[in-house]
Amino acid sequence: MIKSTESLHEILFLFLEVGLILGSLGVVILTNIVYSAFFLALVFVCISLLYLLLNADFVATAQILIYVGAINILIVFAVMLINKPQSFNFFPSWTTGDGITCAACTGLFFLLITTISDTSWSEIYLVTQSNNIVEQDLGGNIQRIGYLLLTEFLLPFELLSIILLVALIGAITVARREKILEMRVKSQALQAKEDFPTS
Amino acid sequence: MLEHALNLGAYLFCIGIFGLITSRNMVRALMCLELLFNVVNINLVTFSNYFDTEQLKGEIFSIFVIVIAAAEAAIGLAIVLAIHRNRGSTRIDQLDLLKW
Repeated sequence: MIKSTESLHEILFLFLEVGLILGSLGVVILTNIVYSAFFLALVFVCISLLYLLLNADFVATAQILIYVGAINILIVFAVMLINKPQSFNFFPSWTTGDGITCAACTGLFFLLITTISDTSWSEIYLVTQSNNIVEQDLGGNIQRIGYLLLTEFLLPFELLSIILLVALIGAITVARREKILEMRVKSQALQAKEDFPTS
Repeated sequence: MLEHALNLGAYLFCIGIFGLITSRNMVRALMCLELLFNVVNINLVTFSNYFDTEQLKGEIFSIFVIVIAAAEAAIGLAIVLAIHRNRGSTRIDQLDLLKW
């Protein structure tokens, strides 16, 4: 039974991997930015399903709600508000800098793959298993995350709410129309002319 | 499967960095930045699943990263909108107001 679950996990993981590889290539390479935004939504959904495969159901739900439901919609709005003329080729032309960056990123990728394959994960697993004393059994995933968020990680949790408040106010202040300030400046100039009329 | 997930994360990370460096559009750079945040989250959740099943510290940190990425995306896109309103284009190489 365990074997069949393992192989089912592997097959699903392969599907998600194909989706992620093609989706990320679509985000980076395509010229039309609306297509890029939709490929980014595909990448977010595939990552959320990957979290479900990794037993992280709360993070998977949060990923769908926040990334696909809010951030991707924000990106699509920004793309819609920034009108650009359509270019008719699917893939952009490559410059020399693009080639150098591609070579550097490929080198970085092979370096990371080599490092991952050279690390002895079984030793690290044994060390972490010996360090883990048996904690109290709190039931499912969400109960454990909720408990830890309100006891051990309380300060970062509260600071996160302040960060969200500041980000909200900041984004509105930066992106709003300037006409209100201009009208106020004009009315103040008219007031000044009335108070001190030049003869 | 641990190494499989980490290799996938490494590939997406390299693609994200490539997209961030070579994109000429500001919104595409922000999209690649969001991709980078997600790759970091994949790594954190993978390690939390395979090494830390009792305390799930990796998942909690990934929740923090998701929230901060959301705040940063909002502010970044607000800045892009303000720049587009003032200058009319969203090319990254035309943003040279702070150069000496």
